[in-house]
Amino acid sequence: MTAAIPESSRTYDLSFARWVRENVKGGDKMNLCMQCGVCAGSCPIGGEMDNGPRKTFMMVRAGMKDEVLSSTTLWNCTSCYRCYVRCPRGIPVTSIIQGLAAVAAKEGYADKEKVANYYFSRAFWWSARTFGKTDERLVTMKYFFSFGLAEGIKRSLANLKIALGMIKAGRMHVGMPHTIRNKSQLKAIVAKAAELEQKG
Amino acid sequence: MSEKMKVTYYPGCSSEATGRHLDESIRAVMPEVGVEMSDIEDWNCCGASVGHIGGGPLPTLALNGRNLSNARKQGNEHVMTPCAACYLNTHGSNLTIRDDEAKREKVNEALKAGGAEPYDGDLKVHHAMEVLVNHVGMDKIAERATNKLEGLKVAGWVGCQTVRPFAETDDGGNYDTYEDPDFLDNITRACGAEAVDYEPKTNCCGGSVAVMKPEKTLHLMKLLLEEAEKSGADVISTPCPLCQTNLEMYQDAINQKYGTSFSIPVVFPSQLMAVAFGMDPQKDAALQRNTIRAEKLEKMAKK
Repeated sequence: MTAAIPESSRTYDLSFARWVRENVKGGDKMNLCMQCGVCAGSCPIGGEMDNGPRKTFMMVRAGMKDEVLSSTTLWNCTSCYRCYVRCPRGIPVTSIIQGLAAVAAKEGYADKEKVANYYFSRAFWWSARTFGKTDERLVTMKYFFSFGLAEGIKRSLANLKIALGMIKAGRMHVGMPHTIRNKSQLKAIVAKAAELEQKG
Repeated sequence: MSEKMKVTYYPGCSSEATGRHLDESIRAVMPEVGVEMSDIEDWNCCGASVGHIGGGPLPTLALNGRNLSNARKQGNEHVMTPCAACYLNTHGSNLTIRDDEAKREKVNEALKAGGAEPYDGDLKVHHAMEVLVNHVGMDKIAERATNKLEGLKVAGWVGCQTVRPFAETDDGGNYDTYEDPDFLDNITRACGAEAVDYEPKTNCCGGSVAVMKPEKTLHLMKLLLEEAEKSGADVISTPCPLCQTNLEMYQDAINQKYGTSFSIPVVFPSQLMAVAFGMDPQKDAALQRNTIRAEKLEKMAKK
């Protein structure tokens, strides 16, 4: 990990911290951060993150919007909530990281090479919105093929043994996806919620 | 608790796929200890750990709002789910709808757009494990466990979201701690099995990151398996459907990457209970659905 030392060539968005405070769930508590690092030290997957939560918070304060929103920290969070329950200041760290990830996704910061999570989440949401349920088979396939046909086939074959084992154990069905009955209702609810979120 | 408890049951999407054995064993054992379940009418997905990225925070909240609104219509204040992510989202959304007026108004506007009833957050959301701890009690499980699992060594792996961040219950108080929960070992003991010391009991398997990028999280699961082996466990018991599937299906990949030879069965506490209750090993305990079969446990099952 290399420290992101501010350079004069960088642009800082000094309204970013305030924006996060007002728009990201838990952001109003971020002021309480004393940079102790319990969050980063508790993270099971910190080795996969460029900055980690502690540094991310300081970068938000510094107005480093682009760096924060294009950071790998947002996309590798496993949502285990260890940082959340350990924070001595009671900051909902996980919620803030998730909130920033949602902002990054919305504002187009998700880079295909770096953020598998974004593509997985899109595939997941497609299933939830279309069928009302997660179809693990289709989500996985859609995710695999979001990296192109060749990559999709390669990854599918690599997971064939697992899939066959699951089918044999009756934990993966062959046939149409499970769906809720009132799909049109769910679509209307989700569409309205998306519209309200867009309005802010 | 000696009287019956009625709950509205939210099985979650994994109940129809990778977590079928959790759903089947929960449906089998819960009525045996006095918990009557009826499913949420036409339930939908909760958004799991990635809905906020794929669809956004408010649409994810609205998904949960629809489930809670449907549960509310069933006229029972208790909602119960056996899935860690379903619990986290349903419980978290319930609190948000209850405490955040602006969000509640927006969710209800969305629900109205779909012709669903408004919801104001007055239900109580429980994890199935919390129901066992606070409403059933270990004594009742031990009493019902007539086919004690004597000699079975069990490593209790709670995982993360089952107790984090909502170990606080909607009834007030906690059902366990974030870092060192006891409930899983207590269930093991109530079934007559031995709960071995298992240090990484609340470690994360990688969750959805393990599904999308297993190479980033294999080391996390390797540690879980190593510690289970060191503890002498015959099986690992976990309440979480994603933990169970991840740790089971990636053992081959871990063996390939690290040159190990793990083949440790990973079961649900409700499967242990079904066997200890002397119930059907297939229909009730769903032991045939484990891709790494728990042979020692299967031998203990009443035929």
